[in-house]
Amino acid sequence: MLEYVFRGLLNGSVYALLALPMTLFFTTAATVDFAIGAYALLAAAVATAVAGPLGIAAGLASAVVASLVMCVIYVLLKRTSKDGIRVALASFGLSLAISSIVLIVWGTKPFVRQTFTTVLEFGGLRVNPQGLLNVAISIALVAATWLVLQRTQLGRMMRAAAVNAPGAELAAIPVIGVQCGALVAGGMLGGTAGLLILHSSGMDFTASLGLTFIGFAAAIIFGIRSPVRCLAGGLGIGVIEALAAGYTSGMVTSMVPSLFMLVVLLSGQLGAGRYSGDRP
Amino acid sequence: MHSIRKGALALLAATAALWTGSAYAQDKPAVKIGAVLSMSGPAAVFGIPERDSLNSLIKEFGSTMDGRKVEFVFCDDKTNPTEASRCVTQLINDDKVVAIIGPGTGSGILAAGPVAQRLQVPLLGPAGTVAITDKGNAFYPWIFRIAPNDTAGMESLWKQIVLKGAKKIAIVYQEDAYGKFGAEFAQKLSKDLGFTIVESIGVPYTATDLTPQVTKFRNAGAEAIFMQLSVPSLGAAFLKAVNEVGLKVPLYANSGLAQKGFIDAAGPLGEGVHVLSIGNVAYDPTPPEQKLVAIMSKNGFKPQGWGDLLAGNGYMTIKAALNKISGPVTGQAMRDTIETLCGFETMSMGKGCFSKDNHDGWAADATVLTTIRGGQFRSDAK
Repeated sequence: MLEYVFRGLLNGSVYALLALPMTLFFTTAATVDFAIGAYALLAAAVATAVAGPLGIAAGLASAVVASLVMCVIYVLLKRTSKDGIRVALASFGLSLAISSIVLIVWGTKPFVRQTFTTVLEFGGLRVNPQGLLNVAISIALVAATWLVLQRTQLGRMMRAAAVNAPGAELAAIPVIGVQCGALVAGGMLGGTAGLLILHSSGMDFTASLGLTFIGFAAAIIFGIRSPVRCLAGGLGIGVIEALAAGYTSGMVTSMVPSLFMLVVLLSGQLGAGRYSGDRP
Repeated sequence: MHSIRKGALALLAATAALWTGSAYAQDKPAVKIGAVLSMSGPAAVFGIPERDSLNSLIKEFGSTMDGRKVEFVFCDDKTNPTEASRCVTQLINDDKVVAIIGPGTGSGILAAGPVAQRLQVPLLGPAGTVAITDKGNAFYPWIFRIAPNDTAGMESLWKQIVLKGAKKIAIVYQEDAYGKFGAEFAQKLSKDLGFTIVESIGVPYTATDLTPQVTKFRNAGAEAIFMQLSVPSLGAAFLKAVNEVGLKVPLYANSGLAQKGFIDAAGPLGEGVHVLSIGNVAYDPTPPEQKLVAIMSKNGFKPQGWGDLLAGNGYMTIKAALNKISGPVTGQAMRDTIETLCGFETMSMGKGCFSKDNHDGWAADATVLTTIRGGQFRSDAK
């Protein structure tokens, strides 16, 4: 039991990293960027193509470039309508386009990189050091995001941009700039997640939508407005997945996490409004 | 004198008529053969080698079979069943082909089956999907399988697992038709072969961590693991999890993982894994396969795997059928003749044999058990 929980926590930390950009963008623009998984895929694909540590930099850079494209799309869409759903749908389109590019350039070959060949042992528990590294990076980035959002001038600007865009503009906040900044930061976070997955389990050209969905699930399950809730969401889903794999068999295993999410969201007890600081 | 001249003229005329007649026999009318392959999309992993193999055979033997000009027309089904049936319609209606190698996937063949039946042109399917040659299909007479089906070889693989002493076996399968089919077939075999399946877990394509599954296998006391997976990254992720959990049992994989991508992705962790393979053309070709390998390399193509073999099977089947047909070549004549072919010349392992009741041309003897050694699939001694 403890072993499953522990392994779930290790895996869940990467989910949290995929959820974080969703939170960030939702906090500043009140809509969702569904291309996060595609940023992760692109970063992983580019990183495998460039040898050595330079690959990591190139991977991150490609993810940032992809998110800049999303910025342009966002700005163009905002000129004609304030409707957030159009941005979300456009990001789906971008995600499909990136997946196709990856398929055309790299084909169907899987992206995998090995870092550690040794395995650490704690009592009966064997862990790849990469897993611990994933957790450390995730927690550090979640903490940093939380600090920026809650404790800095920039964070206040970001939150203001979402809550009341015209008001924020009147207060001389560069709303579009802040929102684009959030998108690019999201690209960076998504890219980081992609690189961590590349070094742990690997992926192939089909991964992008799956990663987006798990990130979105982790973001909304305990409320999308706070990075800390994202972390909780990611870890929660990771643990549930591990327990489901440990105690159920066959097709039920992959159903349990979805059922768990459905129950949590339907119950509304942990939903966005109640505990995330909104007024009832 | 007059009558002699008349007679000579008649003789000349008769000779001339005979002459043109024999010239006609040597220069039979040309036929067109279609090739509907998945040259893009996920199944391109197999479609590209199939195309290369066909092209190298066409280059090698020129464009004549049995003294008649044969032209191949290609169409990409893009791993999409709708495109597959569109391609089949187009090749039959516009190009007047008399037989088609393809479509490239099982679902593509099932989609194109009714078209082939309506337009009366046989399809030679390079796919393992059991359903394509189900006698319940209305289009059954028009579909021939030029590959071993998905169950072929599985029985010998499972016999091998049991023979090596494992009785408690865990199964990991991917969550799709291929995965579920393999897991259920193993369940069926378990009674006859005397092993028990201690765990059977399905995993989605994009699983990022499989250590909980492996932990469960370990806790269940699995003595061997069977992998019914065809996504190379998933196979590699599973091997990583096995290594991390520290489970040391023999690992077996069905033919879905007999791909170079799996070896590349798994790296050193792949060493020692047993993989069922349809022939072994890329690493360890058997004598009949060596002929194909030689032809491919001679014409500038690199043999990549079972895709090469299956397209070769298709080519040789067409050749054998054309050799046997004496009258005009039509779709109907091709179908009727292919159904009578058995033991014809091929460039793959196993014996190609069709009959009225059996449209699966190749059987378990077309598969071989391999072990990954030194980053290559090496054929085990039989």
